[in-house]
Amino acid sequence: MELTKNITLGVYLPGQSSIHNLDPRTKISAATILIVLLLFARSYEAYGLIALFTAALIFCSGIPSGYVIRGLKPMLPVLVIMWVFQLFLYKTPDTAILFEWWVFEATEAGLHMGNLITLRVLFLFTVTTLLTLTTSVVSLTDGLESLLKPLKMIGLPSQELVMTLVIALRFVLILAEELEKIIKAQMARGVAFDQGNFIQKTKKLFPVFLPLFIGAFKRAEELIVAMEARSYTGGKGRTKMKTLRMSSSDLSAAFVMLAYSGILIYVIISVEPII
Amino acid sequence: MSLSVRKIVISGILGAIAILLGVTRLGFIPVPTPAGHATIMHIPVILGGILEGPVVGLITGAIFGLFSFLQPGAPFFADPLVSILPRLFIGIISFLVYFSTKKINILVARVFEAPLTNIKNRISPGLTGALEKFNGILPYLLGGAFGSATNTVLVMGMVTWRGYLPAEASISIGVLHGVPELIVAAVLTVILVKGIQRIRTTEDKS
Repeated sequence: MELTKNITLGVYLPGQSSIHNLDPRTKISAATILIVLLLFARSYEAYGLIALFTAALIFCSGIPSGYVIRGLKPMLPVLVIMWVFQLFLYKTPDTAILFEWWVFEATEAGLHMGNLITLRVLFLFTVTTLLTLTTSVVSLTDGLESLLKPLKMIGLPSQELVMTLVIALRFVLILAEELEKIIKAQMARGVAFDQGNFIQKTKKLFPVFLPLFIGAFKRAEELIVAMEARSYTGGKGRTKMKTLRMSSSDLSAAFVMLAYSGILIYVIISVEPII
Repeated sequence: MSLSVRKIVISGILGAIAILLGVTRLGFIPVPTPAGHATIMHIPVILGGILEGPVVGLITGAIFGLFSFLQPGAPFFADPLVSILPRLFIGIISFLVYFSTKKINILVARVFEAPLTNIKNRISPGLTGALEKFNGILPYLLGGAFGSATNTVLVMGMVTWRGYLPAEASISIGVLHGVPELIVAAVLTVILVKGIQRIRTTEDKS
């Protein structure tokens, strides 16, 4: 029962690569552009281009590719099941039937839909994981705060919302360790989590959830006191010890990103979508 | 609009639990259906709405939605209209149902005070105790149930509307998953709220 081993979200791998050294604002904007483009990609050509670029990013970041992929492991079974679902259930009126199995028909449209949507999931995951692996939480916060500042004009408390997001990311690992302890403690008392039917399995989760939530709320109360004692008042009148500065490498990164998005948009528009 | 430290911290930590349940797959309960699991990842959002109000429910829902968009558990969640938008409503609906049930409860108790005491005197004290206890947990039970139903209905609705699955498939998945999810969510909400309220009252006393 190693829960923390497969969590790659919110983990930062320090390094000195060209990607690590970029300004967080550049990285966040680039990741956002990549994700938005991903949502419009509906052909294999576009995904091929995305795959090439993502591979190049992983290579530049100097992070072992196995590390990025490890986080994918727990969701593989679901991906396979959902791919099968799409294959048999997704239908368009004029599609070719590949083969029939019992009452189900596997259609060509279903196959493409399953493929594309699975690819989209894989790349979404890789891009976000890459962002958090190469950017420390502190610079991620600084970058997000500075990027979301304009939202203040329409009355959204952007700095507070970023703080919430950072607390969430930060606490995932802390709570994972706590969860592991709780599960091990229950197993030591003879609870077999992997045995029994649906109702029995669900019942066994209750004594795990209650201590987890109570522990989390205790931590929350402590954190509230700690933040209030330090007079945290959100973003108002706050200054930074280290201000963010764009460098020449950010400029070249922006240029690369612009060129790549241009090509990708061209591919997305010109190539006929398969679904 | 500004957020209090309390709202920031509680939404953050509940968001962390939602993410944690997702990455560890603990938030998925194996159910004997084709898709294989029901989710309880939305329970932190329900709790946020019930314990801290609609704003915390909304923010926790947004974190949960953002996470399930960026690290999708099922392919159609890689679409913000399916993964993020429906989740914003879970906490708000939970709060509204919880709050109005509580108010109605108080109102009923006040308006029908005389006939209620009359009935209470006639039935056995054991039964009245049980009924009162049930009445006490009813707002949480309904809040949890409606929050869970909001998740199922809106997500499957968006999945159908965006054309990922045909309506019949969505409805059958919705029923097969939604019903166990609803029951588990309702029961867990009651247990967790009671547990958290207990530590809060002991902390206030000390």
